[in-house]
Amino acid sequence: MNEQELIQSIIGKLVEQGVIGTLVEQGVITGAPSAETVAAVSASPSASQGDAGEPVTLPPLNEVKVDKPKNMAALEAMRKTTPARIFMGRCGARQKTHSFLHFQADHAAAVDAVFMDVSDACLAENGLFGVQTLVKDKDEFLMKPELGKKLNEAAKKTIAEKCVKGAQVQIIVVDGLSSTAIEANIADTVPALIQGLKAEGISVGTPFFIKYGRVGVMDEVGALLDCDVVVELVGERPGLITAESMSAYMVYKAGKKTVEADRTIISNIHKGGTPPAEAGAHMATVVKQMLSHKASGVTLSEAMRG
Amino acid sequence: MGMQAKSFWSSFFQKAGRRRHLIMADSPKISSLYAAHVSRPVEGDAEEVVTSVGIDIGTTTTQCVISRLTVKNTAPGTLVPRMEITDKEVVYRSDIHFTPITGENLVDTEKVFRLIEGEFSKAGISPSEIDTGAVIITGETAKKENARRISGEMAGYAGDFVVATAGGKLESVIAGRGSGASDYSRRYFKTVANIDIGGGTANIGIFKSGKAIDSCCINIGGRLLRVDAEESRIVQITGPMAHILDDLGLSLKEGDRVDPLNIEIICRRMAEVVLNSLQSSALTGLEDALMMTAPLRLDYEVECVMISGGVADYAYTTSPCDTLDEIGRYGDIGPMLGRQVQQVFKGNGMAFIRPTETIRATVIGAGSQTVDVSGSTIVVTDECLPMKNIPVVIPFGEGIPESPDAVGEAIRQSVSSLYEAADLEPLAIGIQGDEYLSYKRIQSLAQGVLMGLEPLIRVGFPVIVVLEHDSGKVLGQSLRVLNPAAQVICVDQIEVNEGDYIDIGRSIAGGTVVPVVIKTLVFETRQV
Repeated sequence: MNEQELIQSIIGKLVEQGVIGTLVEQGVITGAPSAETVAAVSASPSASQGDAGEPVTLPPLNEVKVDKPKNMAALEAMRKTTPARIFMGRCGARQKTHSFLHFQADHAAAVDAVFMDVSDACLAENGLFGVQTLVKDKDEFLMKPELGKKLNEAAKKTIAEKCVKGAQVQIIVVDGLSSTAIEANIADTVPALIQGLKAEGISVGTPFFIKYGRVGVMDEVGALLDCDVVVELVGERPGLITAESMSAYMVYKAGKKTVEADRTIISNIHKGGTPPAEAGAHMATVVKQMLSHKASGVTLSEAMRG
Repeated sequence: MGMQAKSFWSSFFQKAGRRRHLIMADSPKISSLYAAHVSRPVEGDAEEVVTSVGIDIGTTTTQCVISRLTVKNTAPGTLVPRMEITDKEVVYRSDIHFTPITGENLVDTEKVFRLIEGEFSKAGISPSEIDTGAVIITGETAKKENARRISGEMAGYAGDFVVATAGGKLESVIAGRGSGASDYSRRYFKTVANIDIGGGTANIGIFKSGKAIDSCCINIGGRLLRVDAEESRIVQITGPMAHILDDLGLSLKEGDRVDPLNIEIICRRMAEVVLNSLQSSALTGLEDALMMTAPLRLDYEVECVMISGGVADYAYTTSPCDTLDEIGRYGDIGPMLGRQVQQVFKGNGMAFIRPTETIRATVIGAGSQTVDVSGSTIVVTDECLPMKNIPVVIPFGEGIPESPDAVGEAIRQSVSSLYEAADLEPLAIGIQGDEYLSYKRIQSLAQGVLMGLEPLIRVGFPVIVVLEHDSGKVLGQSLRVLNPAAQVICVDQIEVNEGDYIDIGRSIAGGTVVPVVIKTLVFETRQV
């Protein structure tokens, strides 16, 4: 029996026993369950072959799936306190089909976030021009982190042409490990940040996008544009809770001498974490403090502690 | 096998621990990275201690407590700070005084002031050191003509941001928080009824998952009938007690002789009134006559009961309460009422939970449970603060409209439903729900808010917005950018309802948060 046939027979058995019958009734798995349908749920883009089948919508993960709970209301209240996968129920020693499919789908979304690129449409909508690091493709990006911290020659030239030097703040958007995070958040974060900075009378340079970038690329930008503060919005390594989480790294006088302790960070910017627009507004306040203390990172924390 | 596994893991952890230690010591870069990770966020660094006072002027007793509330950032290092009240400690409990009453049956303001002054000096605290808290006039005392004035004056004396309040609904909530019912409901996932029975009133607060979901106030208390134990005579029959005697067909007058059996019958009926109000929302007869607020909705199941208030101590003991000396030790019938409440509720099979505070529940609730803090990313104009008793309107019952015009129109309607055009006062716009707000939505919301509040802004009132969703800072900034002249107070992560009143204090913890008190209907108690 090959793999396809095996999957077919298992699904057939599950339907017979009524285990996934409800999914079929709810139209969650449309038509007769087939290997293709399961593949559409579970496959990462690199692994999908042939017809992907109809898109599948899974029932929400936040339902408590424990069988015969003693106090359902208590479990529901606890479930609401965390996005973690608790009270998923089990079938023998294994997870239920519902949580297994979610796991596969969320894993696929995480893989997508790493391997996809930020689209040109997204850059255009947000008025960003794009440059690239020394990295040539995704494989190199993942295997040689050092290259993601250096701009290529074309990038340096473009930045010199299009950006003003010596603005107080330079905003850069970097794909990092989640292009999905960038596409989901920057339309809300960047304008809120700029509004907040301008309201404080702080000058802002022309924001731009860096492809195949890592956090450290901000140091080169800082040296290149001679700005006081670089704010870098970068996609976080995706997880199973969300692939849309973005971080903001901020450094005062970023340059060759910058070390990790110089970076002030706000993490978990996404719809389920710190809302992206609110994060932008908050970052403006943090930047203002960095400018007035002429410091960032640990030095800033210590300066503010007095 | 088990032993082997255990020693394997313990040695593994030991090794791992040692290795981590070595790396940290050897590499300044990594240790500084670690330091950056664990260091507190840049804002609101240190914890802040807020001194809070609670003063309860009740039917029978007057008390005060001083608490210290610790406000601290609870978010991990790399997250946006989240300031929360992390600790509540009662540092001073006053003696329990009888509430001074004048010959005209009013609260003796002068004596109450002296009493509180005395307690403050015993506590070694001056009013200027008090940051927040509440003065609450409860029970029968709240009905007295000078109640509102006294609570106001007392609040003014005790501190800048001390709240004055009275009224059954809020009292029920405060008592249930002070007694521990609120915490119990959250910890054990049960719906708890807290019944605070004092001298004049029984305040019932229903708590589910730590939140007050319903409340009512009944005119039942231990001091509705005052007796002289030595003389075995009735000293005073209050108005509500006359109803009760009427219902029982007892014709007792002030000065009449009284025996323990009569008192037991009276108290049993009073306890039944309390029980019945927990079991039906369609009240008739005595139950209806004594209900001072709307009855409980009862669209939920009460799973257990907690009794607090002065009467509570006698609801949880088995100490004797049979002779008139034992019953009338405080000159009233409180001990017997406690005994009867215990018997009636237990006889009904209600789960009877012991509170953490009994007679002090309300004052501790007032002192440490009334104030909350807002979200930590907000915009406020401190010069306008503190502001007290700001009415809250909820203009967007069905979600926030898309266009600024529609937002403005909804707000205009809310304003005009509350105030005449020529007679404007400040108000707060409450925005409920945790719906995600994009930057564009926030922009149009801000435009609409400024349009709708234009008449108030013109006469110099601040723009006050209270949101549930964590978008206070970006909305506040947007409001400021759109109208730099307007004073903006935009706070988030606060749930409000139509008809609430809100008090907002000056910012604390480096301007990151404001203390907030939400009052659900002040002075709403129906007079019996």
